[in-house]
Amino acid sequence: MEIKDLSDNTGEWLRGTGKESDIVISSRIRLARNIAGYPFLSRANLKQRREIESLLRKTIIERKIAQDISYVNLNQATAIDKLFLVERHLISKEHAEGEGERGVAFGKSETVSLMINEEDHLRIQVIRSGFEIKSTWDTIDEIDNILGESLNFAFSSRFGFLTACPTNVGTGMRVSVMLHLPALGMTKHIEKVFNAVGKLGLVVRGLYGEGTKVSGDLYQISNQFALGKSEKEILSIIESVIPRITSYERMARKALVMESKDQLEDRIWRSYGMLKAARMITSEEILQLLSQVRMGVNIGLIDDIEMQTLNELFVLTLPAHLQKLQGCELDSTQRNVIRASYVRKRLDGL
Amino acid sequence: MKCESCNKKLATVHLTEIIENEKKERHFCEDCAQNVTNHFPKAPSPSDILTSLINQVSPEIREMSKTTCPVCGISYLEFRSQGRLGCPMDYNVFKKGLLPLIERMHGSSQHVGKVPANAGAEIVQKNEMIQLRKELNEAVERENYEKAAELRDKIYELSGNVEDGD
Ligand SMILES: [Zn+2]
Ligand SMILES: [Zn+2]
Repeated sequence: MEIKDLSDNTGEWLRGTGKESDIVISSRIRLARNIAGYPFLSRANLKQRREIESLLRKTIIERKIAQDISYVNLNQATAIDKLFLVERHLISKEHAEGEGERGVAFGKSETVSLMINEEDHLRIQVIRSGFEIKSTWDTIDEIDNILGESLNFAFSSRFGFLTACPTNVGTGMRVSVMLHLPALGMTKHIEKVFNAVGKLGLVVRGLYGEGTKVSGDLYQISNQFALGKSEKEILSIIESVIPRITSYERMARKALVMESKDQLEDRIWRSYGMLKAARMITSEEILQLLSQVRMGVNIGLIDDIEMQTLNELFVLTLPAHLQKLQGCELDSTQRNVIRASYVRKRLDGL
Repeated sequence: MKCESCNKKLATVHLTEIIENEKKERHFCEDCAQNVTNHFPKAPSPSDILTSLINQVSPEIREMSKTTCPVCGISYLEFRSQGRLGCPMDYNVFKKGLLPLIERMHGSSQHVGKVPANAGAEIVQKNEMIQLRKELNEAVERENYEKAAELRDKIYELSGNVEDGD
């Protein structure tokens, strides 16, 4: 598979479709599974590691888990290719930085990805655009069932699916919903959301998962507990919480429009102007600019740019994507120049 | 008393710092205390949670410290320092130490979700039973006795044993 082929398109989850997609960027579910009869990876020797990798890879491909599956052997991938896959949410940072025989299989639409030999033997992930928890669950449940017919997953009636880290044991499930909350961020109400969400057993994280800081007003809300509640119960908690956050964000936007219309509009138009005119844009700055313009589109201020284009620019302007696009390694100054010219081209092209 | 940091505003926050067994009283105004304690709401990562949990439940460490998994060779202490288990068997071998940890992490230690697709009828039935018992408890808590009776009948039916209805 040529990773280069992917660099000027994106996965379907960035299309800006689905319910509440003005605020909910994506719904993602992952399941952690391990093969019975093998140690977890920290205790597996080279031979076992290779056996697990080949067993999972073959099963995934034979059972046609997704359409037009690609497989990338991460043990042989270049640093830029690995970063590229992280930027696309096809693998985790930990998987990119790991060692030894490991890989990722993903379907053409990039809705489904299966990480082999990450922290657990297998991490199944399904990601969809918008607030689409139910269909995301249906897809991943089916994949898990198909694989579970051919493979013996480590499981006990008491603790459920057994995982390397006890924080994942039980369902092995993590549901993450990515939200764009610029107005709650601007009005500082976001801290109230954090507190309320924490009491419900949910956690808030930055764009790229654990321990990453919040940028571009993008937040991921996910479940903290994986055991003692069924998958359906966990999903229904998240399903009931998200609409409250999105309506809170909409209220905050309305309040901003009413109370500080001029400042808000000025900020949004300036951001749009910068994107269209700047000659150098850092990776930090672009997130802020895109976030402002995205809100501008949502409140009906800007109408000549597609939501999909904006969503995609969040990913296509990341360092590894720019280097793939350019076909060579770039230092950060070069990247800032290419980033600005790429954005200008995309915005003019409409 | 004035704030020891800005020396302007009234000190309303009093902190006790312990440095090398020496207690030290410190006095700040509201604003400066914010900077000092820096209590910014930050989502803890699962590994932070695990570390703090491990620090909370230490008594069992001594008891478990000599336990080693015969399958993968990991010792309980190695698990506690790395936070990762060595093999699926560890959930049995370290059960005594793991139970309180898992209880605190998840608020429960009984799985009620999916079973593997190839699980035998026995496991499927056991899981169904656990699920029904949980629902029964919830129905009783909510004083929904009609539902509770219905669930109880289902449990009897499944177990094929009228005595086993705890
Ligand atoms: Zn002060
Ligand atoms: Zn073991």
